[in-house]
Amino acid sequence: MIMSLATKIGNVTIRNPMILASGVLGTTYSTLNRMYEAGLGAVITKSIGAKSRAGNPNPSVFALNEIRSVINSVGLANPGYQIFREDIEILMKNSTPTIVSIFGENKEEFKEVLEGLKDLPVLAFELNFSCPNTEMGGAQIGTDPDLVYKIVKELRVKTKTPLWVKLTPNVSDVIEIASAAVKGGCDTLVAINTLKAMVIDIHTKQPILGFKKGGLSGAAIKPVGIRYVYDLYEHFGDEIPLIGVGGIFKGEDIIEYLLAGATAVEIGTSLGVAYPENMVRFFQMKIKKYMKEQQIDSIGEITGGAHK
Amino acid sequence: MIKQTLSNDKPVMSVIVEKWEECFETYCYKIKLPVKIQSAKPGQFIMLWVPREDEYPICIAGLKDSILEVGIAKMGPGTEAMHKKEVGDLVGIRGIYGKPFTPPEDVNHLLIGGGFGMTPLKLLTEVLVANENKQTIHVFEGARSKNRLMYYEWLQDFHDQGKINFHVCTDDGSLGYQGFPTIDLEKFLQESETSSVIYAAGPEKMMKVIFDIGKNYPKVVDMQMSLADRYMRCGFGACAYCAVDPTGWRICVDGPVFNTEKLEQISDFGVYKRLETGEKKRI
Repeated sequence: MIMSLATKIGNVTIRNPMILASGVLGTTYSTLNRMYEAGLGAVITKSIGAKSRAGNPNPSVFALNEIRSVINSVGLANPGYQIFREDIEILMKNSTPTIVSIFGENKEEFKEVLEGLKDLPVLAFELNFSCPNTEMGGAQIGTDPDLVYKIVKELRVKTKTPLWVKLTPNVSDVIEIASAAVKGGCDTLVAINTLKAMVIDIHTKQPILGFKKGGLSGAAIKPVGIRYVYDLYEHFGDEIPLIGVGGIFKGEDIIEYLLAGATAVEIGTSLGVAYPENMVRFFQMKIKKYMKEQQIDSIGEITGGAHK
Repeated sequence: MIKQTLSNDKPVMSVIVEKWEECFETYCYKIKLPVKIQSAKPGQFIMLWVPREDEYPICIAGLKDSILEVGIAKMGPGTEAMHKKEVGDLVGIRGIYGKPFTPPEDVNHLLIGGGFGMTPLKLLTEVLVANENKQTIHVFEGARSKNRLMYYEWLQDFHDQGKINFHVCTDDGSLGYQGFPTIDLEKFLQESETSSVIYAAGPEKMMKVIFDIGKNYPKVVDMQMSLADRYMRCGFGACAYCAVDPTGWRICVDGPVFNTEKLEQISDFGVYKRLETGEKKRI
């Protein structure tokens, strides 16, 4: 039996369903290349905006061992698209399947970044509407369905490159936001971004993060991510591909996301370790083992299995 | 329950039990960790959180029976905030992070550094001196002037006991010979007939100069250099703000100590470092 891990996300095909999530190991072309060479299907850059941003002061990333999770408040630190373009060009030269995560403080900035990068043959642009670590214009864009619709619609006419929308879990009705993105013309929905979180040191009585508040990723949020993907699949079915993200630490977690309705997954926190190559190898082995046991030829057959 | 070790977790609040002015604008601290931990390896580092101010990587100068020693040179607002901390104050520690120096046997150990780079070399000196094998240890330290030499008395004491050969120099000649530590290093390499390993820590530009000198001497069988002077957010391999091109190695987990073979592959070495934005800047 020939098993195929090749994964079709809309019009995009990648060699397996494992994608490096934005925000981990995505600051430079060299770590992104390294993670593709480690065996992932594709990689996503750190979110890139119109201008250079230093982000939030340290502490801005630390682990929470008890719950195998990480809290961060990096706050969209990035060099701006004009400078980061050089890194993307190297990735393109290396034929690394790359998705560029972009953000803006408003519609105009989203447009500027997309215009500045749309000539590059990237797999997709992932619209980061949902970073919880900044105080841009009050509420996050991703919690406002009107704004989501308007931005996606405007970007849609500017490029043929697929647009993925990364959803925030920090809303009461994710279907409403997702529907606005689909109506605006996005190609894929990605769920979920980090959960709003905070850690206070009881000795100094101080929030530990320099920005005080942050976002939680890692094993603690996996059941939340599974629920969002399940809800989205229940609503949209095969109408739009879903990518599951949040707390994947082992191969079984990937299968779980696929069963919930995801076509592919993004993996971040568990790859931010000393030996990410080993993690990728373990994921791959587990997926193959599951497919063999279940007599599945093509990974796509797993998608949505929990709804049958 | 007392935790048995320090791990990659949120900062562990620890109390400063000793503070002294080591040299100009440089303070050393002994910090009591509320966890049982015997030792650390030279070259490894911790992330130091100064509450309300900043968090940054600091190389370990000593660690014995849960007492951590660090030396902090004034480098900016974060280190100045630490300088205001006194005995009894709390700071947060997480780690221990990074790959250490790995000294082989039966070689001359040549330790060379300056400024804050002396902290990991202090622990390395201690480990080498404690090793029972008969080995030659040379420490080459340079500074702008005598009031900026770190651990001068500590090293001089080892020298007087015949445990190390301490070569000291200053830019202005106020102590030791006038010039750079590379002068005595080269003198040694020219005269020596046995194999040597060079260990370096400090400003990257200086280490690149040392690296280029070391390559000229076939008797230098390895060079191990600590590239810890990089901006870091996480310290455990996630954020990649410390990553070097074109290899994609992260200083925090793939380093901070790299050997000759690896240093040859890092085109950023001594040339570029990354800012908080992720943008590369010429060193």
